[in-house]
Amino acid sequence: MSSEDLQDTDTEARFEFKKKESSAFQAEKGLTEETIRVISEDKDEPEWMLQRRLRALEQFQEMPMPDDWPGAPDLSEVDVDEIVPYIRPDIETRGGAENWEDLPEEIQDTFDKLGIPEAEKNALSGVGAQYESEIVYQNMKEQWEEKGVIFCDMDKAVQEHEELVREYFMTKAVPPSDNKFAALHGAIWSGGSFVYVPEDTTVNMPVQAYFRMNSDGMGQFEHTLIIAEPNSEVHYIEGCSAPKYSAFNLHSGGVEVFVKEGAHVQYSTVQNWSKNTYNLNTKRAIAEADATMEWVSGSMGSKATMLYPSTILKGPGATDNHITIAFAGEGQDIDTGAKVYHNAPNTKSTIESKSIAKDGGRTNYRGLVHIADGATDSSTAVECDALMFDNESTSDTMPYMEIEESKVDVAHEATVGKIGDEDVFYLQSRGLDDDDAKQMIVSGFIEPITEELPIEYAVELNRLIELEMEGSLG
Amino acid sequence: MSTQVHAAIDEATVRQISDDLDEPEWLLETRLEALSALDDVDFPDVIKTPGRKWTDLEGLDYDALVDPLSAAESKDQVGPADAEVLPFAEAVAEHEELLREHFGSVVAPETNYLTALSTALFTTGTVVYVPEGVDAEDVTVRTEMNSRSLFNYTLVVAEESSSVTILERQETGEDSVAPTAQRDEGGEAAGMDGDRYYSGITEIVAGENSYVQFGNLQDVDESTYVYSRREAAVDTYGTVNWIECNLGSRLTKSSVESHLDGDSSETKIVGAFYGHDDQHFDVNARVWHNAEHTTADLVTRGVVDDHARSVYEGVQHVGREAWDTNSYQRENTLMLSDESEADAAPKLIINNHDTEASHSATVGQVSAEDMFYMTSRAVDERTARNMLVEGFYVPVFEEIEVEELRDDLRSRIQDRLQARA
Repeated sequence: MSSEDLQDTDTEARFEFKKKESSAFQAEKGLTEETIRVISEDKDEPEWMLQRRLRALEQFQEMPMPDDWPGAPDLSEVDVDEIVPYIRPDIETRGGAENWEDLPEEIQDTFDKLGIPEAEKNALSGVGAQYESEIVYQNMKEQWEEKGVIFCDMDKAVQEHEELVREYFMTKAVPPSDNKFAALHGAIWSGGSFVYVPEDTTVNMPVQAYFRMNSDGMGQFEHTLIIAEPNSEVHYIEGCSAPKYSAFNLHSGGVEVFVKEGAHVQYSTVQNWSKNTYNLNTKRAIAEADATMEWVSGSMGSKATMLYPSTILKGPGATDNHITIAFAGEGQDIDTGAKVYHNAPNTKSTIESKSIAKDGGRTNYRGLVHIADGATDSSTAVECDALMFDNESTSDTMPYMEIEESKVDVAHEATVGKIGDEDVFYLQSRGLDDDDAKQMIVSGFIEPITEELPIEYAVELNRLIELEMEGSLG
Repeated sequence: MSTQVHAAIDEATVRQISDDLDEPEWLLETRLEALSALDDVDFPDVIKTPGRKWTDLEGLDYDALVDPLSAAESKDQVGPADAEVLPFAEAVAEHEELLREHFGSVVAPETNYLTALSTALFTTGTVVYVPEGVDAEDVTVRTEMNSRSLFNYTLVVAEESSSVTILERQETGEDSVAPTAQRDEGGEAAGMDGDRYYSGITEIVAGENSYVQFGNLQDVDESTYVYSRREAAVDTYGTVNWIECNLGSRLTKSSVESHLDGDSSETKIVGAFYGHDDQHFDVNARVWHNAEHTTADLVTRGVVDDHARSVYEGVQHVGREAWDTNSYQRENTLMLSDESEADAAPKLIINNHDTEASHSATVGQVSAEDMFYMTSRAVDERTARNMLVEGFYVPVFEEIEVEELRDDLRSRIQDRLQARA
């Protein structure tokens, strides 16, 4: 499928279809020590991982819900006892099939509709696909394997790259004690991607993973761990989607990125969760001296999202860029933003956030920029723009800035506006109908995001937004 | 001033205050209700980020600090003949109906712990009443605090099509006796020798088509903890412009809020602060757009030096019915030292899409290029820096229409810069 074909595909058919549930193993609802032991045993994990899971479970039980923040989304419906924390899909090749053709037809069909194998053929260095809780397909082009690049699913990484995982997994970037859902994640994580790029290696094609939730009332807790050794470079892309079900779903992923001295990592994601999914993630990068971390994210779908990718600029000269877009339609509360800690001199960060709210949806930019004492000559620029379609919607902006160092340059700017009548009139007077005119304005509004993404994702993002807007205009 | 008996925060104290002021029963009741609410209401909102509370108001020992029966102040309350500027006790006697209607109508006594404490215990105050159609200039209220604690209350009622300019200031009297300790066992930090507490509540009721400019200069001594809350309810076509300058105190929590309740009402909130030594300023500017075609402009500029710390929160809240809203906010902080800290949290809460809104905040230091430019023109470094800091405040000076306030603020900033090593 070329990108034009992708454009022509009926996006609704691509994302809203739903598969018959069939699984080899399904954990009991709820979260107990027993469940954790079963998951760990089923994955044949080393003892230390089990111990980490159990410790995280304890922390989860002790920690309060993040519901005392100003304007925080309503999480009262999130009852961990009601979710199924772990489902292993019914395939024989555990840990991922080598060839696409080895996958059960249903799963092949699912990912075909999402355009995954084509995207891989065309532009990617490697692809992983997660269905429910486990990676079902994993491939990496040989040329990268030869250079020592590792791209595999996390469960496999625990077995095959134990030392690396033991050192980095939820120890430095996202400890389970970070927040309640990081602790939950630490207890029942399953699947996800492991990317390791050796020193001085540039992976010049993106690596990609795709996650899909397909079962009613399940939780997905994939873990992504990216280690980029000094002076290496990699672009990792993640896509997520889930169709709509009646019971609520919980997605509580964890992403940890280690950007070593002089390395450059871009992490891009376009997420389109079903409208009953609670998307509560913790994503954090640690950037060493002269390293560059870039976050590009599109948050679509979900009932409520709380997601604030963060970067700790640990070494002098480290740089962080955030580009985010959020879209909230009816009944959705998308609370996203970015966090940056400037802990060293000469560190730089930029945050560019765009949000669109319509049909009673709420978007909120919630950000934190912290400049520590001693982080001299650091600079940060934050820009948030919100677009509102109608009067049922809400758009908030809550940036926080903690500045402990005087030799810095800090700026925050935010604007909110409606779709300009003049702009719509201008386009209509040139023969576009109202819907197309608004669609075009929105596309222009989000362009800074789409131009950072590979074409497949940019097209997908545009199509998703089109889909969201269909029928709601005019 | 008695140091023998320290008044407790209890019913007897409240009754005595009310009795001394010869208050009617309803006002005593209001005070007693506020007193009993102390057990239930929260402290004022302060910004929290994970692991951190930006201003700690609960850490103060109010029982030790607060002694309303020993309150002493000297006060100037002057205004033109056509408006009434009355000490609170006199206003109670002469304008009971006016008070009954408006007292607590804008700043609800039970807003939080500190407003409830103020309502229960205030001993001094001013009522400014501007009748319909009257243009009143130059109302001045000066309060000199001469005791360990002081609770002050200001009510402004501007009737339809009236206008008034009010200048308030708070200072510590030079002859005020240093308060003696009411030390806890073990002598905790709060409520130690020399600490004072000042609380000021201001309510403005701005009638249709009225215009109120309220300037405030807080310059109490640096052992004083200050809580101040000013709120205005603005009716159709009305305008309330605030100027809030904070220079003194050990710690200040200041909130200035405008409720744009009538169509086409407007507000401007201009703030200035200068923190040095170990001063802590928590400055809030908030506007509630509750009606159509309302406009707000929030401008705050502040400097932090030495170990001083500033926390700024600005809120622009656009209600669902607030069609055609215009709302702008900007905040800039200049840091003069490495030990200082400046935190900022501008917030936009937008519920109506027919809105044009923006906010911005910056934190930085005196620009190196500007310094170079000045020194290359033979201005010595210190003078150059002082000129640039003064220049930084110009956008705030420009918003201050009252010349006296502008000059006072400017000269206090100059003093502080001169005193700088």
